[in-house]
Amino acid sequence: MALAEKIKDKANQAMGLNEEDARISKSYFTVSFIALLFGGVFGLLQGLNRAGLLELPSWYDYYQVLTSHGLLLVLVFTSFFAIGYFYAGMSHTLGGLIPKVRKMVWIGFGMKLVGFVFSAVPIVMGEASVMYTFYPPLQASPWFYIGLVLIVLGVWMAAFGAFIQVANWRKNHKGQHLPILSFFATGVFVLLFFGSIPVAIEVFMIIPWAFGWVETINVMLSRTLFWAFGHTLVNIWYLTALSAWYVIVPKVIGGRRFSDTLTRVVIILLVILNIPGGFHHQIVDPGITESVKYLHVFMSLAIGFPSLMTAYAMFSVFERTGRAKGAKGLFGFFKKLPWGDARFLAPMIAMIAFIPAGAGGIVQTTNQLNQVVHNSLWVVGHFHLTLGMTVALTFFGVSYWLVPYISKRVLTPAMNKFGVITTILWTIGMSLMSISMHLVGLLGSPRRTSYSTYGDNATALGWDPYLIFLGIGGTILIIAVIMQVYAVFHLMFRAPKGEEEFPIGEVEDKASKTPFWTERWSRTILIMLVVVAMGYVIPLVDFIGYAPPGSPPFQLW
Amino acid sequence: MTQVIAGLVFYLFLMLPPVVELLESIMIIHMHMQMPLLVVAGFLMAPLFQKKFPSFFAKYNMNGIPGILLFMIIMFFWNIPRAMDEALTIPLVEIFKFISLPFLAGVPLRDSWNKLTTKWKNGTLLMFLIVYTGTGILYIASPVQLCNNYLVKEQITLGWGFITVAAAILIYLIQLFFVNPSDYE
Repeated sequence: MALAEKIKDKANQAMGLNEEDARISKSYFTVSFIALLFGGVFGLLQGLNRAGLLELPSWYDYYQVLTSHGLLLVLVFTSFFAIGYFYAGMSHTLGGLIPKVRKMVWIGFGMKLVGFVFSAVPIVMGEASVMYTFYPPLQASPWFYIGLVLIVLGVWMAAFGAFIQVANWRKNHKGQHLPILSFFATGVFVLLFFGSIPVAIEVFMIIPWAFGWVETINVMLSRTLFWAFGHTLVNIWYLTALSAWYVIVPKVIGGRRFSDTLTRVVIILLVILNIPGGFHHQIVDPGITESVKYLHVFMSLAIGFPSLMTAYAMFSVFERTGRAKGAKGLFGFFKKLPWGDARFLAPMIAMIAFIPAGAGGIVQTTNQLNQVVHNSLWVVGHFHLTLGMTVALTFFGVSYWLVPYISKRVLTPAMNKFGVITTILWTIGMSLMSISMHLVGLLGSPRRTSYSTYGDNATALGWDPYLIFLGIGGTILIIAVIMQVYAVFHLMFRAPKGEEEFPIGEVEDKASKTPFWTERWSRTILIMLVVVAMGYVIPLVDFIGYAPPGSPPFQLW
Repeated sequence: MTQVIAGLVFYLFLMLPPVVELLESIMIIHMHMQMPLLVVAGFLMAPLFQKKFPSFFAKYNMNGIPGILLFMIIMFFWNIPRAMDEALTIPLVEIFKFISLPFLAGVPLRDSWNKLTTKWKNGTLLMFLIVYTGTGILYIASPVQLCNNYLVKEQITLGWGFITVAAAILIYLIQLFFVNPSDYE
């Protein structure tokens, strides 16, 4: 058996890419980047509206644009990319997908597309301008929520496919550690599954209310269930980006990975701590005592701890690699990094962006500081820095080698240069936009509202100079979006044929042995469930047990 | 050694008056956060004692069973409403809480867990499942205040806390029926 496995592994390595698995990733990436294109256009329209330069037509108003932008970029672009990326990673590191798993992930693909159409039609018809956060009392057409159910079920298919794939590999490789990229995939899919359970419950509460079978809904309960998912979701994309930083970037710069144990501990910590962290989105919500909110701040800040570990690990890798290449002085190693390589530059800027992004996140998590920035454009600036820079740029960096790899093509020096320019344009556009959003948010400009001067109120007029930068940033960004989408499809269909490397970093020669407890996922999940239970039992018991009469639906458009 | 220092610092942190006051001001946080965190502090400090008194642990906790029994006795003692109430009103009982949970529950748990057979490990979890379900029902269903220091409203929240932890343990035990760890290790 062991010999047969070895032969299979060798054969896989020798034959390289599995065509059928590559088709899965290519399809997922195609949807992902088409979503980026449309989402980007909607983003530009919003930016121009907020800058006071564009009045959106009544047949597709600001709130429809906002909902479409959020849904396309936060749900479609990211989830399709992450699934395509991790399935390519599992196919590569686990010796090809098993046929059953392939079938599951295709079914998931179909369900998500159908679900997306179900959700998109009401938005286009103007019956679902509820924004991607979609919690009550705003109410959309029931078909919007039914579409969301299908999307969640599609994600679960992909998650269970991954679990079966990983379990199958482990059965055939007893006592071995799961390859690190697949370990990341497992963490991501565990979070995706458990994180989407609360939102599934929420949607099943909303559907009868949206059909009018029940008159009222418990708003606080549904908000809580939404954020248990909403915050986990953004951290899932972050964990996906982390996988590229820990595993891919060291290889691209010609170094070795940082401690394997630390990497796995970071993943486990993020899986355990993430879901209750969502409560900090409700830090100014009513119905919860100060002391409970205060304790939740600790819960949320705990998520920052693995991020600090990551920052240390990454800079340590850069320094070691730079010194091995002959760098001198305290910061000489920076010069030795391959800045001209798009596969490095994009994730590197993503990492740098996460320093202010993480700090801004800590501001929002903190009870008192949150009250200053709550529901202002600061928050929008924050998630454009985290998702728009940290996550998106890492995904772009991955696309420059993964898309040619699965398409059996190569990244030419010209396309690499094109990627570098795209990255720089994106960085300029997003920085202009998110910095001005942060600043104008501090001055009080609200989010989730179309342009208004509030009857030429002096304060509101004072926001205008900052809001102009939203328009400028958005315009630069749309150029970068078009370039990025072009790059992906060029690399998929037009680039010269050849073999691109799947860069997976190796551990140091003298690395210490990773303890086996890191592989015990059922124990990790038990601890995660206990932490989730502890995090949510107080608000949930209060919101259910002492609920107000409930809210009728509101449609403000 | 890093772990021992971390455990000690954590233990001292949990003893700080504002921390004690905050954690004890909410019933469920008192039982399901402060108390387990004290056990964690002891768990982290355990190697110090294991190194200092190896023969003691070898002699009295050879197969891990005495240790895990002591752990369970201490844990279940602190599930009694009266015990928690007295910790708040009688300083001596509060001191006992701060000593018993880390040193009589955390330390023996660490020493015992790896010595135990799988049957005993799962048996321990089963025991917690049963006790937590029972205590959970007691706290939820009780028509009267069980603790002088906490309201009935908080009591119900605590009850659900027990039930949700029990549910998490139940999910873990159920998956053991379908997934055999020895297939993978």
